Amino acid sequence: MRPGFRQSMAWLHTWSGLVLGWLLYAVFFTGTTAYFNQEITSWMTPENVVRADPSIAAINAQKWLVRHHPNAVTWDVVLPGARGGGTRVSWTENPSAWEADTSGAATGSIQLDGQGLDTPAPRSTSGGQFLYGFHYELHYVPYRMARWIVGLGAMFMLVAIVSGIITHKKIFADFFMLRLGKGQRSWLDAHNVTAVLALPFHLMITYTGLVTLMHMYMPWPELVRPKPPKTAPVAIETSITPAAPLTALAPVLKDASKKWGGTQSARIQYHHPGHTDARIIVFPAKTKDIAEHHGAQVFDGVTGSAITSPLSTSKAYIIESGMVGLHAGRYAAPTLRWLYFLSGLGGTVMIASGLLLWVVKRRQRLPDAEHPHLGFRIVERLNIGTIVGLPAGVATYFLANRLLPPDAVGRADLEIRFFFIPWAAFLIWSTCRPSRRAWIETLGVCALLFALVPIVSALTTTRGLFPSLLARDWVFVSFDLVMITTAAASAFGAWVIAARKPRIDRPRKARPALEPVH
Amino acid sequence: MINCAIFLLTAAGFLALLLADPRYRRDWLRHELAPKWCTALRLAGFLLLALPLIIAVRRLNWGYGAVVWFGWLTISATLVVSAHTYRTHAWRPRR
Repeated sequence: MRPGFRQSMAWLHTWSGLVLGWLLYAVFFTGTTAYFNQEITSWMTPENVVRADPSIAAINAQKWLVRHHPNAVTWDVVLPGARGGGTRVSWTENPSAWEADTSGAATGSIQLDGQGLDTPAPRSTSGGQFLYGFHYELHYVPYRMARWIVGLGAMFMLVAIVSGIITHKKIFADFFMLRLGKGQRSWLDAHNVTAVLALPFHLMITYTGLVTLMHMYMPWPELVRPKPPKTAPVAIETSITPAAPLTALAPVLKDASKKWGGTQSARIQYHHPGHTDARIIVFPAKTKDIAEHHGAQVFDGVTGSAITSPLSTSKAYIIESGMVGLHAGRYAAPTLRWLYFLSGLGGTVMIASGLLLWVVKRRQRLPDAEHPHLGFRIVERLNIGTIVGLPAGVATYFLANRLLPPDAVGRADLEIRFFFIPWAAFLIWSTCRPSRRAWIETLGVCALLFALVPIVSALTTTRGLFPSLLARDWVFVSFDLVMITTAAASAFGAWVIAARKPRIDRPRKARPALEPVH
Repeated sequence: MINCAIFLLTAAGFLALLLADPRYRRDWLRHELAPKWCTALRLAGFLLLALPLIIAVRRLNWGYGAVVWFGWLTISATLVVSAHTYRTHAWRPRR
């Protein structure tokens, strides 16, 4: 007989969620940290205490870019502001090299200080930018391929969300239902609750995530439509116009600020700097507009005169930048930023619980629990190695930031290796141990690593938890508290598994009658 | 300030909705309520959830207010679920 609609949706949900589940977990986890990427970068550059001055930083950052990347196609300068004292500068070199190139070579970024100066940094680091980048670039994967993989994952996620909603069927009746200590039932409840309570976020973040890269996934409309005029702030191709020096930046910023009624600029983008078709796009600080490019002003990069962009008034463009803005949450004030962060955490837990549910459900049906089939073992081990291993890698990334010698060669890359190597080690470790032991041990070590972060930070810098509390340095205080909370959560997880020995080890045989099998 | 108001109202709303359902109410109240009280609670719950949206949209703006409202909905629902789970598991002997 043909299976019912709901059953086929349940099947679709199970497999679309499983196939790329670990990738989605990694994307959600690192993407969630990205809501605080500037704060993480501040924490990872503890010596950087220069008083931030956006207008000086802007001019110095431009000087730095002219000196170091004169041939780049685009520059992007995120000025210091309310969220952290550094100036983030990034650039894109020859875009035709993207196809073949690995990420990082054709595009790059560097953290300058609060006045845009390349002060000999006591410790070079990629900071929060690495975690942010990982969530759609996957670091070692070539530029386009990484975005395609993540896009595929997002598409699967969207399928899993919609089919999950259909499968759930009692969203409102079981809205508050979370029964603990009942094995598979509890995992299903936990998966449902984390999914339903943050459902608006899950749908929004997955859909808008696809939108951020839609020009790459679906380039056809742009291929057939006539080329937009050159004022458009989207042209990412090599300039064919002759070289020309850039205009002075200060009058441009003053002009922009006047049009915003005194608001300072937060971000400056350059297209084709050093050519006659150069454009400078300036974004306002402190706005409650979600749309990323809303209120942005375009200037001619050579003459410095304002240009009215036809794009900024287009409805489609505003909707697109609204979605991108909603995804990245750069507009969000601190409270809303925390809400984003917590919802992202909910999404991460939802994915993890879904992956665990797959295992829990099948473990009960195994003919021989001692020797499960290969597929089961792969999923089980990947679960442990990723769900615990990835956060542990983040902890060692932070620890490496504090412990590596400041003058180590290629220090920023070395830090990143301290993210991947421990993660790989956790994956290997989880395959070598019996699953229950693997959970307890990895969670325990993960807890220890996170607990070490504030301790090591207090020992190696002058900005530990207590000095930061006294200095009312809330970024550093919150960072350490999040580390301690994560450590506590991991330790609690290890403790719960260790305390419930019999139920985990012999799930089915002891209590077949209690749960009705449908 | 406005965040605090949105949080308290949505939390109260979810609490009312929780109590409106007899399956959850048993764990919180000693006596069964009359059906008209259930309807009243449910209505109050939805109103308490809708009210902060209006406040948020008025005081902030459309987009920002709506995002803030959705964010607080998630937080307060999570807290109500946690409170309920804690209560039911702290009170009932483990089977």
